[in-house]
Amino acid sequence: MPSRLIEQARRGPGIETWKNTICGLCSAGCGIRVRLVDGLPVYVKGNPMYPINQGGLCPLGLNALHHLYHPDRLKGPMKQVGKFGSGKWESITWDEALKTVSDALVKLRNEGNPHQVAFLGHDERGLMHRHIARFMQAYGSPNYFQFSPAQDDGVAYLLMQGDPQIPAYDVLNAKLIVSFGSNFLEEGHSPIYYTKLYGHHQDSQTRYVQIESRMSLTASNADRWVTIRPGAYGALALGIAYVLLREELYDTEFVNAHTFGFEDWTDRSGTKHLGFKSFVLGNYYPERVAELTGVPSATILELARELGNTRPALVIGGQGAVNNTNGTYSLMAVQSLNALLGNFERAGGLYSIDEPPFGALPVVQRDPTGEAGNGRASVARSQDGSFPLAPFSMKTLTKNILEDQPYPVGVLFLYGGNALFETVDHIDFAKVLQKIPLVVSFDSIRTETSEYAHLILPDHTFFETWDEVSNVPSVGFTHIGIQQPVVAPLFETRHTGDVLIDLAKRIGGSVAASFAFESYQEEMKQGMNGVYESGEGAILSASIKGKWLQYLQQRGWQIGRYSSFDEFWAQLLEHGGWWNPIRKQKPWEKVFHTPSGKFEFYSQRLKSTFDALVKTTGDQQSPQDLELVLSRLNISARGDTTFLPHHEPVPFEPDLPMHLVTFQPLAIRNGNGAHLPMMQEMFGYTVGRYWDSWVEIHPKTASDYGIADGQWIWLESSVASLRVRAKITPGILLNVVAVPFGLGHSSCGRYARGHGTNPYSIMRNTYDLLSGKPALEVTKVKISVAA
Amino acid sequence: MARWAMVIDLDKCTGCGACMAACKMENNVAIVKPDEAQNGRAMFWMDMITTYEGEYPNLEVKRMPRPCFHCDDPPCIKVCPVRATYINEEGLVGQIYKRCIGCRYCMAACPFTVKVFNWENPQWLDEASTCFNPDVSRRMVGVVEKCSFCAHRLMKVKEDAAQEKRNILDGEYVPACMESCPADAIYFGDIEDKQSVVYKLAHSYRAYRVMADLGVEPKVYYLSKRKA
Amino acid sequence: MEIQDSRRPDRDELLYRPIYETGRGFYITAGMLLLVVLWAAYMYLNQVRSGLGVTGMNQPVTWGFYIVNFVFFIGISHAGTLISAILRLSKAEWRRPITRMAEVITAIVLAIGGLHPILDLGRPDRMVNIFLSGRLQSPLLWDVTSITAYFTASTVYLYVPMIPDIAKLRDRGGKFQWLYAFMAWGWEGTEHQKKVLNRAINILMVMVIPIAVSVHTVISYIFSMTLQPGWHSTIFGPYFVVGAIFSGIAALLIVMIAFRKFYHLEKYLHEIHFQYLSTLLLIMSIIWFYFTFSEYLTGVFGAEPHEMQIIMYKFKGPFAIFFWGMVACNFVIPVIILAFKRFKTIRGILVASCTVVIGMWLERLIIVVPSLANPRMDLPLGIYVPTVTEWALFAGGLAVFVLGYMVFSKFFPIISIWEIEEGRTEGLKEVEERIHSYLPAESASS
Ligand SMILES: Nc1nc2c(c(=O)[nH]1)N[C@H]1C(S)=C(S)[C@@H](COP(=O)(O)OP(=O)(O)OC[C@H]3O[C@@H](n4cnc5c(=O)[nH]c(N)nc54)[C@H](O)[C@@H]3O)O[C@H]1N2
Ligand SMILES: Nc1nc2c(c(=O)[nH]1)N[C@H]1C(S)=C(S)[C@@H](COP(=O)(O)OP(=O)(O)OC[C@H]3O[C@@H](n4cnc5c(=O)[nH]c(N)nc54)[C@H](O)[C@@H]3O)O[C@H]1N2
Ligand code: SF4
Ligand code: SF4
Ligand code: SF4
Ligand code: SF4
Ligand code: SF4
Ligand SMILES: [Mo]
Repeated sequence: MPSRLIEQARRGPGIETWKNTICGLCSAGCGIRVRLVDGLPVYVKGNPMYPINQGGLCPLGLNALHHLYHPDRLKGPMKQVGKFGSGKWESITWDEALKTVSDALVKLRNEGNPHQVAFLGHDERGLMHRHIARFMQAYGSPNYFQFSPAQDDGVAYLLMQGDPQIPAYDVLNAKLIVSFGSNFLEEGHSPIYYTKLYGHHQDSQTRYVQIESRMSLTASNADRWVTIRPGAYGALALGIAYVLLREELYDTEFVNAHTFGFEDWTDRSGTKHLGFKSFVLGNYYPERVAELTGVPSATILELARELGNTRPALVIGGQGAVNNTNGTYSLMAVQSLNALLGNFERAGGLYSIDEPPFGALPVVQRDPTGEAGNGRASVARSQDGSFPLAPFSMKTLTKNILEDQPYPVGVLFLYGGNALFETVDHIDFAKVLQKIPLVVSFDSIRTETSEYAHLILPDHTFFETWDEVSNVPSVGFTHIGIQQPVVAPLFETRHTGDVLIDLAKRIGGSVAASFAFESYQEEMKQGMNGVYESGEGAILSASIKGKWLQYLQQRGWQIGRYSSFDEFWAQLLEHGGWWNPIRKQKPWEKVFHTPSGKFEFYSQRLKSTFDALVKTTGDQQSPQDLELVLSRLNISARGDTTFLPHHEPVPFEPDLPMHLVTFQPLAIRNGNGAHLPMMQEMFGYTVGRYWDSWVEIHPKTASDYGIADGQWIWLESSVASLRVRAKITPGILLNVVAVPFGLGHSSCGRYARGHGTNPYSIMRNTYDLLSGKPALEVTKVKISVAA
Repeated sequence: MARWAMVIDLDKCTGCGACMAACKMENNVAIVKPDEAQNGRAMFWMDMITTYEGEYPNLEVKRMPRPCFHCDDPPCIKVCPVRATYINEEGLVGQIYKRCIGCRYCMAACPFTVKVFNWENPQWLDEASTCFNPDVSRRMVGVVEKCSFCAHRLMKVKEDAAQEKRNILDGEYVPACMESCPADAIYFGDIEDKQSVVYKLAHSYRAYRVMADLGVEPKVYYLSKRKA
Repeated sequence: MEIQDSRRPDRDELLYRPIYETGRGFYITAGMLLLVVLWAAYMYLNQVRSGLGVTGMNQPVTWGFYIVNFVFFIGISHAGTLISAILRLSKAEWRRPITRMAEVITAIVLAIGGLHPILDLGRPDRMVNIFLSGRLQSPLLWDVTSITAYFTASTVYLYVPMIPDIAKLRDRGGKFQWLYAFMAWGWEGTEHQKKVLNRAINILMVMVIPIAVSVHTVISYIFSMTLQPGWHSTIFGPYFVVGAIFSGIAALLIVMIAFRKFYHLEKYLHEIHFQYLSTLLLIMSIIWFYFTFSEYLTGVFGAEPHEMQIIMYKFKGPFAIFFWGMVACNFVIPVIILAFKRFKTIRGILVASCTVVIGMWLERLIIVVPSLANPRMDLPLGIYVPTVTEWALFAGGLAVFVLGYMVFSKFFPIISIWEIEEGRTEGLKEVEERIHSYLPAESASS
């Protein structure tokens, strides 16, 4: 804490001001109002005008100031000295740091290997995403990846709707909401957005049904909680589909007009194909589904009838369903329920959101070296055809880099996130970090991952930075939140966007030429200029809700009411954001980008992907044979079933008794709240545990094993064992134990280090067969009392 | 004279805990050491009480945010030997930190176990010493503290009202916990005023007060379908 | 009036001996006790420096050993003065060798007990606030008042009857002349002085009794004035008083037996004294049981949920050992020992007294902790484990008591010499007359 600020706080006349910005502690993008006294932030509250959170915040956001003032923030560029990962660091000047990096970049480029630079991003979207992409393109590398982009959940949507975007749910107008393992009140893409709607619904009597194997915050607030065996979501969804079909409770109109592969069909070559309807009716009768899921057939009937007889009734699929080896197929099954109910592009249903009309940038300058580099295959592209649909897979990346396939990586940038802390492949990924000659991180607080970096060029915290947070996944309207510096940077930190520009300039040539603007802020203004010119939407204002909305409705989205861009910009900063609550009605072909232009029960994209694989399986004896491909992806289904939503059995270890399920409490989320002491204290507020992890066990299970509440026990998986204290709660299935995710740090600052445990240490590194998403719920354990 | 009261709608409340965090930040409540917290010395002016009722499939979990109830006839103040805790004419039950001798009698006397004690020298984030709320005095070791209904915010509101020569409007005095509740589950206002939101809600069929039978007249009302 | 020759060996020489002769044993014991006291002092200073965090208290168990021992010590202190007053009032001749020992207990232990609430304060530095802005409505203030009152009264009541003996010491010459001279208050043993002395004693003993009763009544009010289940009970006042007298008698017996042994006072303290006192103990034990029984019966019968939770916590919860231990120590064992002649030996009485003291301490523990550990709200059970600091201060309290008593016995006779003499002379006559006055009048026949 710079002493000048302490002075300022002590001596100041105590003048109060407020500034709006966007919380940056997770990807949910809530608008916040920061209270400043004598220019120093002293309190954070929700921005009542901001349409996502309308004044509400989560505990983490409320505690954000401790992120700004955190004692372990990096105060300037750092260089790792001595043994790698030894934690010995010395600070260097920005010039030194940038020189080291640019030298390496120039060298690779001169050797004609620009493609050997990789950039591992995090969940950045919008302009920052574009900025990084431009840098990599201009420099000449195809290797810009995002660890944990929310799209990694989108493969199922890609297959059925031709668009990986996570759909926006019109929760506001739904009368019934059935969630398949989406803990949207606690985790979810924007927990506060959903909590707002939930609060609103208590007045308007909307019913919530939560299908989950543990009683999460969402389940505990739902009108009904249905427990289900891990990995069985697909089966349940199809069981429900069975009843909807049998009892004709589905939207025939939509199904007939806008879906493909519902009835049996014959393709051009005249071969008959199995339709979704007869497939489901033939295989997913309630008794069998009850077998697979552990959900009584009576319950299945009730759920289906309630869904079929309520309009609008919304079905939401979440990580609970996705985080398993059969995740993609499961989510497809869940999504096909929305199709049967005809929920697309309809009030109370789900739809895709338009991108904000950002202003375009001058085209990237190109030179031969860059061209060549961009031409190369990405290092994350699988060599053996695994995860054919993965936008990016940590496993493939690690594998390739360790094997120098197809080429070695010389420089790796790490931006945001904490991959090492939350991949099931942490062991291999650690090797990768040690292998690469130059690893550069932008972390503002050192994380497990950046402990392995050679250089850290610390970014500002969101309180000190310029950025834009737009279109949070699953939020029901186009919106842009403005992140602006509410306080001058406390330390010698720099905006990563500016750092990239600086590097580009140092590299010179076409790379430098590609960056027309002096700073990221300028570039951002350019982007917002496009929004201004589009004349769409409106800047947030107190009156935007209620009357204003109707006004917008009548006038469509055309409301240019700013005399100049500067006025627009000024208001934007003052109010903290822009949104466009009105969606353009889309023609159906714009809704479904599939070969058939319809919602595809039978995914032709999946079919063609496999056909392509069969032709180009990169192995020696190159067998022209689907069988081999399927067995290598260990998909058990054959024939048309392969391309239809179905239940793939999960390779659980039969000899271990308990399923391990993880969840992410609001206070610490994926682990990015762990560095804050108040959040550590609040981590277990629902179970009365502080600064520590726990494992949820059903009272009966506990008594079977003679476990008392608060007792230390061992969770032993096929990978390793975890020592953690028991929390006995009736809110969980008999054969399931649940461990919260987020603690167990070995880095992330003094308050995170050494508290609690990280379930990843015992998770099997198994993946979704198609999407390459880690199968976080596939691990089974046996439990025993610890001495 | 106004009588300030709070209503918490448990049907809306999801138990997200934002109120707990908002309160700690707004009121400079100390963060205790990890082992201290484990030993029941964590300080939450707004605490969360979780109870499970029944068994699956009829399992009901009740999450109940619990501030100080600002009882109209508070047992806590009756026992204080030095008048370090008191109730004012607007029904706010306050603490005088500088006078408290730390006998903890009021804690023992509070039927709702809401008070917390500074067992050790209060410590906050090492270097966050600038992000204190200047409107709220910081506590010292050895004194009792509890939810104040954000009384410091009332002072501000009164100043504004006085300047504009008007009465305080319903919904103008907003405690921190209410302000950031993402479910809009907390309401606050003058329960004497028959027009106020809290008056109406407090008289709805869903309204109840914890252990109303004790007759200490809590001024925090809960709304719940289940209870009613 | 002839001046007494100090060199003439006194009939009660034995009672003077401890004042003039001190063995090695004394110094060793005193030394060890002193160490304990210093240790406690150190721990306390440490607590003042770093706050009550060093104790095992927490939310919801906001009170622990300090309050437990406060109630316990005050209880012990209770009996001394009260008993001596009652015995004097009822002209029980066997009181003579006992009264002073009893009074000393009160003076010393009351001081110790009275300090405990201060040990318990989070801000001892702000004690003055109790006077600057004290609220008389607070039961704590009632305690402060009645304890000070009782302390003054009982020290005076200890001192006044001591004056003639102090004078004796003054006249014998030897060490601390000045002290005795000062404290003797110019006592010459004149008729007038004797009259005044007796009048003073009579007034004091009448005054002391209600104060004594008040003390432990208001201590019980600390708890019973709250709404907490397990505390909010009308029976608490008398219940506490009975308990206090009960533990007080036990303590007195222990002290008597100890001094009888170490100072060889068999000549003064006969079986009979112990028989009488222990019979009193037996009676108190039964009364105590009666109160305890009705206290819990009403609870169990009413079966108010919160009340019940706490009772069950004591009956078969974590506190069962302490509860049933208490019943054994306060009722079963003493009654068995004291009801049968065979066990009612000095040794037996010693055992019974010890268990009673332990049992009464357990009772205080059982009153203070469970009600706090079982909050009315649906919160997890509170857990309280006393720390070294708390144990140290407990040990310190006991050490101060023993040490104080030993030191006292080095300055003043622990048996009232003049009252013994008085007994030999007036006592006998008076009793004879009294007995005559009870008997039917002689008929004046030829
Ligand atoms: N607080 C918080 N919010 C977040 C995130 C975060 O890390 N923390 N991450 C963001 C991101 S990147 C995403 S993709 C979204 C995802 O958000 P969601 O789609 O809501 O998925 P999760 O939040 O992982 O919730 C999955 C829930 O399903 C349950 N579950 C897990 N496995 C199984 C199973 O096999 N069977 C059943 N029946 N239930 C199971 C777990 O209890 C868990 O509560 O959340 C976003 N929001
Ligand atoms: N057990 C379990 N694991 C999961 C999931 C699950 O449901 N259960 N969900 C999976 C899914 S869907 C996803 S998308 C991934 C998400 O995985 P991530 O995206 O990596 O997790 P985050 O919590 O978003 O980021 C965590 C790290 O970001 C760092 N951080 C926070 N703020 C900043 C900042 O301002 N600057 C920088 N440079 N760093 C910052 C924090 O130090 C923290 O260590 O997790 C996956 N992991
Ligand atoms: S959910 Fe919480 S952490 Fe995420 S943006 Fe909103 S307030 Fe910040
Ligand atoms: S903030 Fe609102 S919703 Fe969250 S726990 Fe508090 S009252 Fe409930
Ligand atoms: S809730 Fe407790 S602390 Fe608050 S006023 Fe009532 S008795 Fe006092
Ligand atoms: S702890 Fe402070 S406020 Fe509470 S009773 Fe004692 S002196 Fe009064
Ligand atoms: S009213 Fe103010 S003090 Fe009380 S709980 Fe809410 S925020 Fe905390
Ligand atoms: Mo995700």
